[in-house]
Amino acid sequence: MSKNRKNQAAVIRFGPALKASFLCLLIGGSAVGYVWQKNEIFRLGRQIGQREAQLRQLRADNKQLSDQLAILHSPVMLDRRTKELNLGLAPATPMQVVRLEEPAAPAAPNHLSRQFTQRSLDSVTP
Amino acid sequence: MSNKLQIRRSFLLLAFLAAAFVGLAARLVDLQVVRHDELSAKAEENTEREFWQAPRRGDILDVNGNILATSVAVKTVCADPSLIGNQQLLVARAIAPLLNLNANELAQKLVPRIVRLPDGDFVTNGLHYVRLAKNIPEETWQQVVAAMAGLKLGVDEKKLPRADRDFFRNLRLHSVFAESDQMRIYPNGSLASQVVGFPGTEEYKIDGHLITQIIGRDGVELTMQKALSGVAGWRVTEVDRAHHELVALRDEDVRARDGLNVVLTIDSAIQHIVETALAEAVKKHEPKSITGIVIRPSTGEILAMASLPNYDPNQPNTITPATRDRVITDVMEPGSTFKIVVVSGALNNGVVRLTDQFDCEHGHFLFAGRVLHDAEPHGILTTKEIITKSSNIGAAKIGIKLGAQNLYDYAWNYGFGQRTGIPLPGEARGFLYPVKDWSKDSIAQIPMGHGVAVTRLQMVYAMAAIANGGWLMHPMLVKRLQDRDGNPVQCYAPERVRQVVSAATDHLMVEALKTVPTKEGTAPAAAMKDYVVAGKTGTAEKAEHGVYVHGKYMASFIGFFPADHPQLCISVVMDEPKDGYYGGPVCGPVFRDIAERCASYLNIPPDPKLMTNAPALVVENTARKL
Repeated sequence: MSKNRKNQAAVIRFGPALKASFLCLLIGGSAVGYVWQKNEIFRLGRQIGQREAQLRQLRADNKQLSDQLAILHSPVMLDRRTKELNLGLAPATPMQVVRLEEPAAPAAPNHLSRQFTQRSLDSVTP
Repeated sequence: MSNKLQIRRSFLLLAFLAAAFVGLAARLVDLQVVRHDELSAKAEENTEREFWQAPRRGDILDVNGNILATSVAVKTVCADPSLIGNQQLLVARAIAPLLNLNANELAQKLVPRIVRLPDGDFVTNGLHYVRLAKNIPEETWQQVVAAMAGLKLGVDEKKLPRADRDFFRNLRLHSVFAESDQMRIYPNGSLASQVVGFPGTEEYKIDGHLITQIIGRDGVELTMQKALSGVAGWRVTEVDRAHHELVALRDEDVRARDGLNVVLTIDSAIQHIVETALAEAVKKHEPKSITGIVIRPSTGEILAMASLPNYDPNQPNTITPATRDRVITDVMEPGSTFKIVVVSGALNNGVVRLTDQFDCEHGHFLFAGRVLHDAEPHGILTTKEIITKSSNIGAAKIGIKLGAQNLYDYAWNYGFGQRTGIPLPGEARGFLYPVKDWSKDSIAQIPMGHGVAVTRLQMVYAMAAIANGGWLMHPMLVKRLQDRDGNPVQCYAPERVRQVVSAATDHLMVEALKTVPTKEGTAPAAAMKDYVVAGKTGTAEKAEHGVYVHGKYMASFIGFFPADHPQLCISVVMDEPKDGYYGGPVCGPVFRDIAERCASYLNIPPDPKLMTNAPALVVENTARKL
């Protein structure tokens, strides 16, 4: 019995030691990997949350700016500003509007004569 | 001996371990099985949070995309009085000026109170919650946050015990908080206010959560409530100790579906033109009220609809019964504008021709024991001249020739006595009694617009039918529904109701109506320089408590132009105008003013017949050269 023990102590068994080390590394690595993965999930989750908040804010800003632009473009606002600035602007009367007829398609490529449009009495176009 | 001892010790250890494991297992069963529901609920309560997402209310836009009503993000500022301790006055002084509140009143709100709930339980300020101010802009809220963070408490906090330090920390960071909300604004103020309507708020509970929703109270805000409001979303998620969401542990995430934008047929430029012209008329004639409508006869689209006095939906205190939308809610006797019904009906039935002559009895006609009068005495007039001069006696005689049932049928077919179906609340039907309920003189009264009650909208659509080849159109106020990005979700097309009179009759009617805005007619002031106008005046004595009141009149003019290719039909009605009361001189100039500005804005080509004196103009088409 004592002889066997003496012999066993003297022998270094690399195979089982390597297996044990590999198993430990595997378990340890899995644990570290799991923790790292969880950490990443929460980190990315925070980033997603921040980005969502940023997107919400940008959408709100965009809406606010487009509303401001629309209000500044509105006919009522333009009319009010025109009156405030006293620019002397007035809508054109229908007789002051010159309506051009749609030009006819060119008959030939070398037909380069000046084209004129006369105010028509019977075929006005809107 | 030693072996036995070792075995005994081993058994003892084993028994101890077994007992420990049994104990643990029993505890595990107790926690995981027996008290599972109770404990899981407690755990969820600690970590799980449910957030409701209010949908953004859709905008109301005019036909060109100009904003008539929109929603802006605001904050509702709240407080948890239990976190404020006895520092109410300090907090109130810091934030009251920012919230435009009285500091003492605000301090009173921050005092924790015992409140009894309907179920009999007592809670402190309704679960640590008190609302301080609504509709606070984001910038103001940031100022409140900064003011709270900078609270000077007058003690060296570093020397205080941890519990006190936590109290001051919670006071600064968590005692005053904000909830996201939205506020309805109307950038153009009172423009088209009665059409757009105004909002209110409604609070309701979903799964114990108090949800505040904007709802329409009048106008399109009310009738299009379903499309505008959208659908609320929710998120079930977990939060950490600092109340930050743990995105990775989100359980349910259903996004809110924003409300759709409602695009109206109203053109805010034309609406502005109409309201400006009406306001000028109010200055001149000081009527009790005045209304103006502009529609496109070929489609039934309403381009403008105004009634003064009106209100500013941004200021709810300006909303009174007097500011109602009189175009659809009020009924009146139409007066002579109703003559278009009897004359077009008689022409359509072939009972009369435009050239047929009638004796107008020099202004006095006894019928069924009652004397009918004309504003001016007339002798023999043709059908056309009856329209031109607006002879009551002539119209009554045409009505008698047409017959009661036919007159009733035409009035009904023109849409009187029934709602037009405009998508606005509160539309009146008017009164058009069946023939069996008519008195002896009804057949003579109704043709001149007495004994019937109509809305201004019904009347303008009847005139528009004449401008549209005899086809009565359905009022069109909503053009389409679109999503936030402008993609159409639902489009509405013009809708014909029925053809009331034939195209040939219609042509004759237009010829007759063209004579009204002339020197010979009743409304020379409605004539336009560059367009031929067709229209009809109306002057009706007002009835109060069943009797006509002398000196109180409804004056009106309804017309369309260019008469041969009508683009716009415009109605102007004044209630009790001063400085004149006949429809022609009072409402005619307002009509012309609106029509000329609209023609310029819409670039409607002038009537070729009126351009004969225009100087010849030759313009080089430089666009071709480029």
